[in-house]
Amino acid sequence: MNVSNRKTIRCLSIASFKAAKIRNIITVAAIALTTILFTVIFTVGMSMKYGFEQSNFRMVGGYAHGGFKYLTKEQFEELKDDPLIKEYGKRIFCGMPEKEPFHKSHVEVSYCDANTAKWMFVEPKEGRLPKEGTNEAATDLRVLSLLGVEPVIGNEFTMTFMVDGQETTETFTLCGYWDYDEITVANHVLIPESRTQEIFEKLGTQGKDGMTSFWNMDIMFKNTSHIEENLDTILARHGYQSEGLDQGDNYIRTGVNWGYMSAQFEDSLDITTIFALIAVMLLIIFTGYLIIYNIFQISVSNDVRFYGLLKTIGTTGRQIKRIISLQAFLLSALGIPIGLILGYGAGVLMTGIVVSQLNGIVLTYSVSPIIFLGAAAFSFVTVWLSCRKPRRMAAKISPVEAVRYTEGAGTKKKSRKGEKGASIFRMAMANLGRNKSKTVITVISMSFAVVILNITFILANGFDMDKYLKHVITDFIAADASYFQTGGPDLTSFPEESVSQIEALDGVKGGRTYQKTFAAQELVTEEWVRKLNGKYSSPEMVDRYVEMLEKVGDLRAERVQLYGMEDFVLDKLPVIEGDLSKLKEGGNYVAAVYSSDDYGNLHEDSHWAKLGDKVTIRYVEEYEYYNPETGEIYGEDEDLSDKRWQDRAKVYEDKVYEVAALVEVPGKICYRYYGADEFVMGADTFIRDSGTSDILYYAFDCEDDKVEQVEQWMQDFAGGDDSMYDYESRKTEEEEFYAFRDMFMMVGSGAALIVGMVGILNFVNAILTGIMARKREFAVLQSVGMTGKQLNRMLITEGMVFAGSSVVITLILTIVMGPLASDVLEGMFWFFSYHLTVTPILAVAPVFLLLGAVIPLCSYRYVAKRSVVERLREAE
Amino acid sequence: MCKTAFMMQIILFIRKKEENMTILSTQDLKKVYGSGESEVHALDGVNFQVEKGEFVAVVGTSGSGKSTLLHMLGGLDRPTSGGVTVDGKEIFTLKDEELTIFRRRKIGFVFQNYNLVPVLNVYENILLPVQLDGGSPDQNYIKDIIDTLGLSSKLNNLPNNLSGGQQQRVAIARALASKPAIILADEPTGNLDSKTSQDVLSLLKVTGQKFSQTIVMITHNEAIAQMADRVIRIEDGRIA
Repeated sequence: MNVSNRKTIRCLSIASFKAAKIRNIITVAAIALTTILFTVIFTVGMSMKYGFEQSNFRMVGGYAHGGFKYLTKEQFEELKDDPLIKEYGKRIFCGMPEKEPFHKSHVEVSYCDANTAKWMFVEPKEGRLPKEGTNEAATDLRVLSLLGVEPVIGNEFTMTFMVDGQETTETFTLCGYWDYDEITVANHVLIPESRTQEIFEKLGTQGKDGMTSFWNMDIMFKNTSHIEENLDTILARHGYQSEGLDQGDNYIRTGVNWGYMSAQFEDSLDITTIFALIAVMLLIIFTGYLIIYNIFQISVSNDVRFYGLLKTIGTTGRQIKRIISLQAFLLSALGIPIGLILGYGAGVLMTGIVVSQLNGIVLTYSVSPIIFLGAAAFSFVTVWLSCRKPRRMAAKISPVEAVRYTEGAGTKKKSRKGEKGASIFRMAMANLGRNKSKTVITVISMSFAVVILNITFILANGFDMDKYLKHVITDFIAADASYFQTGGPDLTSFPEESVSQIEALDGVKGGRTYQKTFAAQELVTEEWVRKLNGKYSSPEMVDRYVEMLEKVGDLRAERVQLYGMEDFVLDKLPVIEGDLSKLKEGGNYVAAVYSSDDYGNLHEDSHWAKLGDKVTIRYVEEYEYYNPETGEIYGEDEDLSDKRWQDRAKVYEDKVYEVAALVEVPGKICYRYYGADEFVMGADTFIRDSGTSDILYYAFDCEDDKVEQVEQWMQDFAGGDDSMYDYESRKTEEEEFYAFRDMFMMVGSGAALIVGMVGILNFVNAILTGIMARKREFAVLQSVGMTGKQLNRMLITEGMVFAGSSVVITLILTIVMGPLASDVLEGMFWFFSYHLTVTPILAVAPVFLLLGAVIPLCSYRYVAKRSVVERLREAE
Repeated sequence: MCKTAFMMQIILFIRKKEENMTILSTQDLKKVYGSGESEVHALDGVNFQVEKGEFVAVVGTSGSGKSTLLHMLGGLDRPTSGGVTVDGKEIFTLKDEELTIFRRRKIGFVFQNYNLVPVLNVYENILLPVQLDGGSPDQNYIKDIIDTLGLSSKLNNLPNNLSGGQQQRVAIARALASKPAIILADEPTGNLDSKTSQDVLSLLKVTGQKFSQTIVMITHNEAIAQMADRVIRIEDGRIA
């Protein structure tokens, strides 16, 4: 039989919905809180994903999907209107300065239209892009600072740069500038298209290098899939190809932004992170389930008579289910949007806190619809899961039993022992036993928040600053900013003048470390090369790699990394074996650098050299390239791109050193980059043998009472964002440590706060509904002589038992789980020392107990507004 | 002077004697619900006395004010004017809290719908008023009540596993447990079939006599009312 009764059911549903005002408020709040938790996770997650991509794009130098390179004007005009192209941008490369002050920087002078400027992150923060037909130019603060020009719009600056092999000197008027972004490799000077043409005309530029004066087209497609295929399709349509020049002169080079291709955020998610994420999501679902299920369950138990009545007059179980589902929908429709709004705000705050602690991720706030759709979907699933069982319960109610129903009773238990009679305490306990699932769930829900809070405290308290600062072995390190940002070989050196300035400060004592800026090799056994590379590469790759290395007798010439350290720095090195004094004396001695993990466990096999071993270092002045098959030596300017080649030292000097010590170079003063076997030399030996003295960093200590002053001086000298130099100090490390710890505190406390609100809400609901449902029973008790005081005492006892049990459960959990958590956490954070603490639990306990007393009291006062007689007569 | 004193003593003596006899009395008891147009005189000047050990039935139709009267007698509700004296105590001079304590010591209630506490078993329900008063129950007396009411085998049962008649017997036992001055029964058989009603009522009467209790019972059932020693009729808030 198919009866159209939906309208009636909707009416009933809405009517009973309206009747349960307090339940609705509590449920909406619960749904909103759950949604907040989900939204925060999604916001932080999506923002970090977005930030990660942005970082990639900045490293690449833009976020255009791809493009065509080195087009003629005609080709450009022909391709730009292809229907596959959603948007395009135009760029003409003009030249690059090579001489001082740009000898260490990569600066490109070019024309970019507004699109390309935007996509390459070179939109002026102040001012605007240059206007056609003027001598304007826009650039970044780093270029200005290298030129020594104040960043003031209208200032003139002059640059000498190479245009396709010819030098030119041009003067521009600054029309806009932007911040230098460390992540981006290249700096840019943007000039009008008209100016590029003037320069090309003046110099008669032909574009011999294949780049200069040609047009580049940056392209945005409709989406990021099939970028490469799309580029090829466009070319094919217009009769071009991207295979190669040897395939015909209709060749056009394409470029795909690898920011979209590789190193995607998803790839960087390892299994642990994914599991952690799933665990967090499940925890939130669980938190939400605990309260929403509880509310619905209580609500259905309290309305049993109502549902029984509906059954009696002919409502089917399915219809009753629909009544409840509809209410769940209505409540979600109210709660979820509130949660999304509040959650997004909280998420933005959290993102800021979290991202500030991560390297390599730009702080961005994602506004992706996925955040809202995802969080809403998860919340809704939680609500749906939560009201499944109560729905079934309501549908199953027998109309006959419903009339006799009192909460929890009449189920299985027919009798209970007890000949002592009733005491207030026993009555309270019996009352808690009425609806066991309610009691248990409420207690778990409250405990949950305390557990999270306590874990947060254990975590934050366990971060051990002494362990964290273990790697900090000098009070200060000053270097070029790139040393701290990227690390790696051939960094910009820290100028000697700056070192002198620092040395001149009162109370400072330090030493330089020189870096290898030249080519050098060590002669090692093939076995060692295989062992070292075998850790990271397949046997085939190792074979190929070994073949590439030049054979010198039985040995192979392998890359090597070198430090030249002054005595001050040498003295700071942890010595595993041997003695560094020989290094200081300036003989042919080196120390081999071993590594250890964060926990301080030495990697025995991280270097081949043992004490007393001899090592030959080959200082290479010139390499030559040759064909490994024929032995033919290629000329210097020969294009090797499609030929087999190998290199070997042509002009070089071999020096033999004795390994006088085995040392570690702590993380804060090493190259911060793993490249090859490393040796430390004394500074004098290093300068003498290499003929270079490029300073990697200047490390120094400072007298205790001068620390503040020096810190201030360093802050002024190198602390600013636009400074080329940077420094680290014990203080900045400490601050970093505290910031890291605070991040955990903030995130953990935030989670505990919201989960705590859920727990308390659950508690309020349990108590409130428990009291409302027993209005009449209280009247009976009063009519047989229970005083208001006794009744209050009973209710407070009930509340206290709720609150007390969650405190006790949390305590037990914490103490029992402690050792387990300790292992996990110490495994996760090398600077973590586990200390059991229950302070947060003890701090929360009085609050809970107070709530346990206050909430029942307030609820009862509400009930007690009506007289005993009124309540006795009610609801029969 | 001396003569007056003597007279006073005689008056006091007479009063005392009266009090010994009268366990419950009402003084021009009035209860008005609402005000103005919707004013309802639930009780409109009720005066009567009940002697110790008496079994009185108050009969009236629905809306006659009999339930209101019973609530007043038990101190569950306060009158608009007038007073109630129970065992020599003018109960409405007491504060709410004192009134409750007075009630649990002096008055036993038996309700139409039994009103047992669902989480307590039979024994605990019976003892509840005594224990709420902090007293230790007179075990022999309680056992006597339980045996008399035939509840010995049900002591551990929870109320909703008992039949209506059994529940009402528990309620009677509870009312007797604190050895009150009077038992107020509000339609005690209202939810029971006629056979069970007879049984319960007989038990009420028998226990009343056995434990020399005063019983005031409200009913709309004439046949039931006839089992009482005296029947008071109430109509439109007045004694007819």
